[in-house]
Amino acid sequence: MVAIEASNLSKVYDTGKEALKNLDFSLHQGEVFGFLGPNGAGKTTTIKLLTGLLTPSTGKSQILGVDPSAEPAKLHGFCGIMTEHAQMYNLLSGYENLLFYGEVFGLEKEMAKARALQLLERLELTDAMYQKLGTYSTGMRQRLSLARALLHSPQMLFLDEPTSGLDPESIWRVNDLIKEMAKDEGITVFLCTHQLRYAQEVCSTYGLIAEGELLAKGNLRELRALTMDALTLELKAENIPLTENSHLEKVAENRYEMKISEVEEIPAIVQRLARNGTSIYEVRALEQSLEDIYFALIKRKGEGHDHL
Amino acid sequence: MIISKMQLAIAKKDMGNMLKNKNLLLPLTIVPIMFSVFMPTVFVLIMLLSPLDRVDMEGMEKLFAQLPGNSQDLRELGLNMFLNYILPVFFIIIPVMAASVMAAGSFVGEKEKSTLETLFYSPLSLRQIFEAKIMASVSLSVMVTYASFILMILTVELEVFLITGKGWLPGVNWPIILILLAPAISLIAVALIVKGSAKAQTMEEAQQKSVFLVLPLALLMVGQFTGLFLLKWWLLLILGVLLAVIAGIVTKMIYGDLDYEKVLK
Repeated sequence: MVAIEASNLSKVYDTGKEALKNLDFSLHQGEVFGFLGPNGAGKTTTIKLLTGLLTPSTGKSQILGVDPSAEPAKLHGFCGIMTEHAQMYNLLSGYENLLFYGEVFGLEKEMAKARALQLLERLELTDAMYQKLGTYSTGMRQRLSLARALLHSPQMLFLDEPTSGLDPESIWRVNDLIKEMAKDEGITVFLCTHQLRYAQEVCSTYGLIAEGELLAKGNLRELRALTMDALTLELKAENIPLTENSHLEKVAENRYEMKISEVEEIPAIVQRLARNGTSIYEVRALEQSLEDIYFALIKRKGEGHDHL
Repeated sequence: MIISKMQLAIAKKDMGNMLKNKNLLLPLTIVPIMFSVFMPTVFVLIMLLSPLDRVDMEGMEKLFAQLPGNSQDLRELGLNMFLNYILPVFFIIIPVMAASVMAAGSFVGEKEKSTLETLFYSPLSLRQIFEAKIMASVSLSVMVTYASFILMILTVELEVFLITGKGWLPGVNWPIILILLAPAISLIAVALIVKGSAKAQTMEEAQQKSVFLVLPLALLMVGQFTGLFLLKWWLLLILGVLLAVIAGIVTKMIYGDLDYEKVLK
């Protein structure tokens, strides 16, 4: 079942800034979709459009059949939304905050208490639950915001930079929770981040955005296929002949790299080098990371390849 | 307007936050105490204890002539004049101030601290959220006004009884102020803050808007002090009805103009 469908979605602010240009994509239920790009690329604008807080300049979207612009309150009833700008009350404790939002989401008091305690424990905030939110660290605030977004057991989760300010252990816990929810409860996750390495650990599909334009969408395999150089051949070798300098890039002493399209190219390269007197100690084929793909796509866009 | 349980949670939280915030609580207690304890006490003591020849009554005679009843007792007339006609005008400042402080905290304060956006992600419509917040601000403002009135009555009754051995009966202006004017003017003050909240970035900036409401009140005071007119009950009733109509119109305008983007700008 399609969870999110956006067609020709654009947003031009009153200031004239074109924050999003003709966004077209769809997501299936249960997907953990990483919406990736640098700060200012249009990620938060997209979340706000998809959750009804902004009205699109052109185009439309549907979240599980609901138009965010027409029925935002209905949408919020089954969506959990966590953005950097959505804060909670400093004068209330973490637990009081969750109970308050539980009431606002129409949960019965006992249900809200049980759910709040369960999430506080899951996100390792039980010890700090009676502390005022004002005393929480950035990481603790982030985790409490995630708990708040999950309080009403949403079917769809929008997360904007959920791991910013978190230590590595907390990142691991949050990742684990997101993956588990998607797998066990079938929650669809729309996750915005500029941390591409983090996204690669948690997401099943990706959308890469830059300057308000969607550069590409797909799973890692599909994205790798979009770039010509899907693999990096890493060599530890000596006596590389001068004729190979145009292909091999020296990255350190006796260490060389070369972009290739598929692993089948490797034997021929190794044979050629060996024939020319090169001593080869190590050969590795590295698959392109999301970061490599992103920069490759950005580079191609800069070179004028608009359709990726 | 029927308030849902979800809206009630927002209203309760707004009031609770207000009572926990010392910066907001201070004006909510100082101003009412000034108008319900300090000011009446000073006037009661002047009117009842100072030698009459030292109290300058010139210029007040025109006003005294307009007072109901046949009393010729200057002390009684002065007390009646102040407690039933002049003090009520000062008293209207209490709901203006309380509603402004509360609304500034509830709307601009939440926008400033980025907690308003979180509320917008709830299953309540923008109108329902605003209804809850407006209800909290107006209710608190009316409650502060009523508490101030009770405090003022207790203070004046005690002082008048201790000095004269008699009691004091509040005039008909008071119920009109409490039932009609206080809620209406609270709603207008809240509406002004809400209207300005899209532009105001700080609570202080938003509160300055309520100055526009204090200005006509100052004119009422000057009018009475100079003997131009006396705020008779029917005049106050007309003013109250007029303010209630204005309050209804501005509230309707606010609800008709609600938009997430404008509010969060």
